[in-house]
Amino acid sequence: MRQFHSRFSRGIVWSTCLWFAALPGWQPQVSAEELIYNRDVRPILSENCFSCHGFDKSKREAGLGLDTQEDSVAVLESGHAAIVPGKPEESELIRRILSGDHDEVMPPAESGKHLTEAQKKTLKDWVLQGAKYDKHWAFISPSKVPAELTTNPIDHFVKARLTAESISPSPEADRITLLRRVSLDLTGLPPSLSEVDDFLESSQTDSETAYRQLVERLLQSPAYGERWGRWWLDQARYADSNGYSVDAPRQIWKYRDWVIDALNRDLPFDQFTIEQLAGDLLPDATVEQQVATGFHRNTQINQEGGIDPEQFRIDSVYDRVATTGTVWLGLSVGCAQCHDHKFDPIKQREYYQLFAFFNNQEEPNLTVYDSDIDAPSLLEERRQLEAQMQEVVRNASGRTADWEAQLTADQRKSFAKDVQKILDTNKDKRNAVQERSMYAVGPGASDEEFQSQLKRWDEVSKLLERNTTTLVMKELAKPRKTTVFIQGDFTRPSEEVNCGTPSVLPPLEDVGDSVDRLDLARWIVSPRNPLTARVIVNRIWQQYFGRGLVETENDFGLQGSTPSHPELLDWLAVDLTEKGWSLKELHRLIVLSKTYRQSSAERSDLHEKDRNNYVLARQRRLRLDAEIVRDVSLSSCGLLSRKMGGPPVFPPIPQGVMGLGQANRAWNVSEGEDRYRRGLYTFIYRATPPPSLSVFDAPDGYSTCTRRVRSNTPLQALALMNDGGFFEFATALEKLIKQEGLAAAFRRCTSRIPSDSELAVLEKLDTLSAARVLLNLDETVTRE
Amino acid sequence: MNTEHDLLQRTRRHFFGECGIGVGSMALANLLAGNDSAAAAEIAGSMLAPRETQFPARAKRIIFLFMAGGPSQLDLFDHKPLLNKMNGEPMPQSYLEGKRFAFMGSSHRTNLLGTRRRFSQHGDCGAWVSDLMPHTASIVDKLTFIKTCKTDLFNHAPAKLFMNTGSGQFGRPSLGSWLTYGLGSECADLPGFVVLQSGPRGPRGGSVLWGSGMLPSSYQGVPLRNKGEPILNLTTPESVSSEQQAEVFAAVRALNAQRLAATGDEEIATRISAYEMAYRMQTSAPELMDTSGESKETLDLYGIKDPGESSFARNCLLARRLVERGVRFVQLYHTNWDHHGGVTENLEQHLPAVSQEVDRPGMALIRDLEQRGLLEDTIVIWGGEFGRTPMGEVRESTGRNHHIDAFTMWFAGGGLKPGVTLGETDEFGFGPVGDSVFVRDIHATLLHQLGINHERLTVRAQGLDFRLTGVLPARVVHEIIG
Repeated sequence: MRQFHSRFSRGIVWSTCLWFAALPGWQPQVSAEELIYNRDVRPILSENCFSCHGFDKSKREAGLGLDTQEDSVAVLESGHAAIVPGKPEESELIRRILSGDHDEVMPPAESGKHLTEAQKKTLKDWVLQGAKYDKHWAFISPSKVPAELTTNPIDHFVKARLTAESISPSPEADRITLLRRVSLDLTGLPPSLSEVDDFLESSQTDSETAYRQLVERLLQSPAYGERWGRWWLDQARYADSNGYSVDAPRQIWKYRDWVIDALNRDLPFDQFTIEQLAGDLLPDATVEQQVATGFHRNTQINQEGGIDPEQFRIDSVYDRVATTGTVWLGLSVGCAQCHDHKFDPIKQREYYQLFAFFNNQEEPNLTVYDSDIDAPSLLEERRQLEAQMQEVVRNASGRTADWEAQLTADQRKSFAKDVQKILDTNKDKRNAVQERSMYAVGPGASDEEFQSQLKRWDEVSKLLERNTTTLVMKELAKPRKTTVFIQGDFTRPSEEVNCGTPSVLPPLEDVGDSVDRLDLARWIVSPRNPLTARVIVNRIWQQYFGRGLVETENDFGLQGSTPSHPELLDWLAVDLTEKGWSLKELHRLIVLSKTYRQSSAERSDLHEKDRNNYVLARQRRLRLDAEIVRDVSLSSCGLLSRKMGGPPVFPPIPQGVMGLGQANRAWNVSEGEDRYRRGLYTFIYRATPPPSLSVFDAPDGYSTCTRRVRSNTPLQALALMNDGGFFEFATALEKLIKQEGLAAAFRRCTSRIPSDSELAVLEKLDTLSAARVLLNLDETVTRE
Repeated sequence: MNTEHDLLQRTRRHFFGECGIGVGSMALANLLAGNDSAAAAEIAGSMLAPRETQFPARAKRIIFLFMAGGPSQLDLFDHKPLLNKMNGEPMPQSYLEGKRFAFMGSSHRTNLLGTRRRFSQHGDCGAWVSDLMPHTASIVDKLTFIKTCKTDLFNHAPAKLFMNTGSGQFGRPSLGSWLTYGLGSECADLPGFVVLQSGPRGPRGGSVLWGSGMLPSSYQGVPLRNKGEPILNLTTPESVSSEQQAEVFAAVRALNAQRLAATGDEEIATRISAYEMAYRMQTSAPELMDTSGESKETLDLYGIKDPGESSFARNCLLARRLVERGVRFVQLYHTNWDHHGGVTENLEQHLPAVSQEVDRPGMALIRDLEQRGLLEDTIVIWGGEFGRTPMGEVRESTGRNHHIDAFTMWFAGGGLKPGVTLGETDEFGFGPVGDSVFVRDIHATLLHQLGINHERLTVRAQGLDFRLTGVLPARVVHEIIG
């Protein structure tokens, strides 16, 4: 038999399970019990058969489709039927998978796919039992199973599975670990030393109340919006430049601030969704709701010479369709761009119906005035002033011309430069502002009313300069025509299509004459949509446990993995909608559960039974996200600025980084506290991202990122050891060591008191070295 | 049987036997006495450990000389006498129907442009090479030319991405990442995938060209820098002595080891071995860059006058030094080959200049590798993201537009047939006569030479098994395999 490594021929699961077959969600021992299609059979067919005998009819081999009962029992060209329900011995499928003949056996050897004996038996038993098909689980609406819930529902369902597998849960983590864990998870910041002391003290009287109060405090902290804002910005593929090769800077940080603010005020997730996908189409859309549409302006813009702009506009629409599908529906709809989806029931035509929703926009800049000025009334006042002044100027045009004609050369030279310039401009070519200036220095010089209007105009204009711009979506008055593109090639249009949603999901509701993005957004968060709530619940869960209840967090389709705790997932999804889509409620429910509060220590018994912690008999140590690695270092050494929002900042980066892109862009290091802001405020050039963030797997902003990889590399070690920024933090921490001692510095980094043997290692070092060691500890960059 | 147990055993064998990585983590894992995460800890530390191939490999490593911008094959390798005869005449319309080009709205034109270069045949194989590449001409019997390379995209950044990742979309792993993912690295002191750059600016597209896409960042290319420290953050901070640095590394290791014992989390073992590699890189990378031990003969062969100065020639020498040390994939980018005919990018002045920059070093690299017995299991590739049109562009001076239907690349070493030319273009050098060699075919062939079936090197993401060669059928180009 050929010797090949596991990465050859099959997908693998990252990180620690790299070398071991991943335990899928729920793998019961197959017995004579009734097989369940979705649980037992479909994963086998999907993995091994559907790529040639699946949903994409054009790619079906021998005319056989195994994805529906109707097709699988049909008599084929060969005269056989793949499946004869109840009769495995007459079923071609069973004969072929059991065949010892190299030319006959399915799946064919060259596919690299291979059925185990157990899988063959499952298929045979299933045919024997009648080969019943079910609708895919994720396309059936979730419902809460009736259960006596005396505990947190999370614990109820997790415990049920643990009991079934005879595994005991882990004890609660110690108080300090728990405090640091929940602080990092909810706010991305470690607790301060006094917060640690307070928590330990209050825990002594009533530990449960102390923990609940802690959770409430953290949920109310503005840092919550920053930490979970970055989680959302990953999915929004947010960055501060245009991407592609030219990668010019762009201004869209107002959108970033909108996300942070929306999460902090717990804007219900359905509204959060609607405003981002279609805020501009809401009746009387506020400026904020328009800013929210920046979500889909986070696409790249190609400014390379010689391009066909239409090609790249269409590429950005492709990206919007794929991102919407992945982020909200957990479906890889992008796969249907060139052909019918091979695994999921999405037709190419339906893909372009989704495409049509995003094909009718112009992509403007929106001016957003600072909140401390009353921009609407100032704009109105300025408009009125201009109208009044223009009237006066027009009526005085004759007098102004006479005055100008009488000016001597010396008089002309006595005026300010800008006035002289207007005098040198031909009268016919002067604009309204220039004419106004002429009147103001001429006959109007003694017109007190006019002069006071002019003064006010200057003041108002000055105030209105307090603004910024941000990228937003705006619907075109006249829609573009949308067609299917053959093979996804925009030069090959075919059938025209209108806006629509995939037929496998519930239809659009209550749409009027014209269907637009707002209808799509409302459809996505409709209670009838079986996917959205599950997908979001799962993606939040993933942040807390390192893996979703559905491991393939971006694929709830037929190729995705089965939920490890399907009843829990559905309970949480239904609960989210019942509680008005409050994300804070969901966070509260999770972090208050015993499941979340377990110790993350490895257990030798689990090593055998559930190496990868699918059944959640413990918590998991997770390396911090890139931005939070920075935040924790800054916080530990006392330099962190807590200033929120505003334009992105430029902390020091190594020399030469910007030269790696096509254009060598300037990076003028920020001064003052902007040098020490949280990582999510660092300016991100897509082509040349800040190395200390990208080395820790910060996403590149080229496409949506629904789960970060957690790599563990020598370049990370070099960054923490030698990067100028981290070294600066170490020098600041050194000062604190001198003031407060080594043990306190250790606590600043890890929140816990060092052991004697740990202190002994540090005491042998000079203070700067000790500070550098502390910032390099695995524990410092990990939440346990 | 290919059971988990076998895999584990095989990996352990690699781990103990060949790679030398993670000896430290092995010892540390012993701290967890009685805990069978010991084996796991070793393995977790070996993401880059060398791995067995699927079938016997003809090559172990690749050096890709990437000519960024798209070299004009019609002025270098693809000799088309008719083009000169018909200089200035319109391209027959039948060739152009349905075709799209860059700069369609502006400077793109359809009149044929002859070459000013003189072509002659060289070596025993009689390969045609223009007067711009005399040194390359001297080694044609060691090279394999493909004249009918075909790519899908005609703008720089997407086409570069396509040549590197098999896709014009961002977020896919590059060739070097696939190789280090599939085969691991044979070098414990340096990254398995290294990128070098020369020329007036960085390549369009930037770091995504050597990105790892959906693979872990352990597999992404590490750029060696021309100025300052060769690897980002390689240098110990100025005020820190090397003794202090060693003490810090040792203390980090000691404390991480204590935490590993307390938690049993094998990720800590991985981090410990990552710090060990980082520490070794602080020594090994400067050694790599220090070419003072190279003989004058060698420096002269490459045409290096000042070894301290960054150039394509120096990068070629570094490429040899890298593969000598077992680095799996070395990629050199040299800009700028984008000769449209502008004031700073024309065929009269700028093509000869950039050709001269790469001609001798390319030849030297082949000869040097051969002398050291490295060429037989190292593949060297020379080519850009696309070629250029037989039609001229109307700009300030003479130039050609981007062309994707047929362009030339050359290959050497690694079990490929030397002195062979595959494929022929039509009389204008516009399209292929016969079959094209698609980018995915090139990728399939390279993987094949390294002992990998391109259909079986996959990664699961977004519910799909992604592979370098994509969904359309790709073939191994057996005609060029020796």
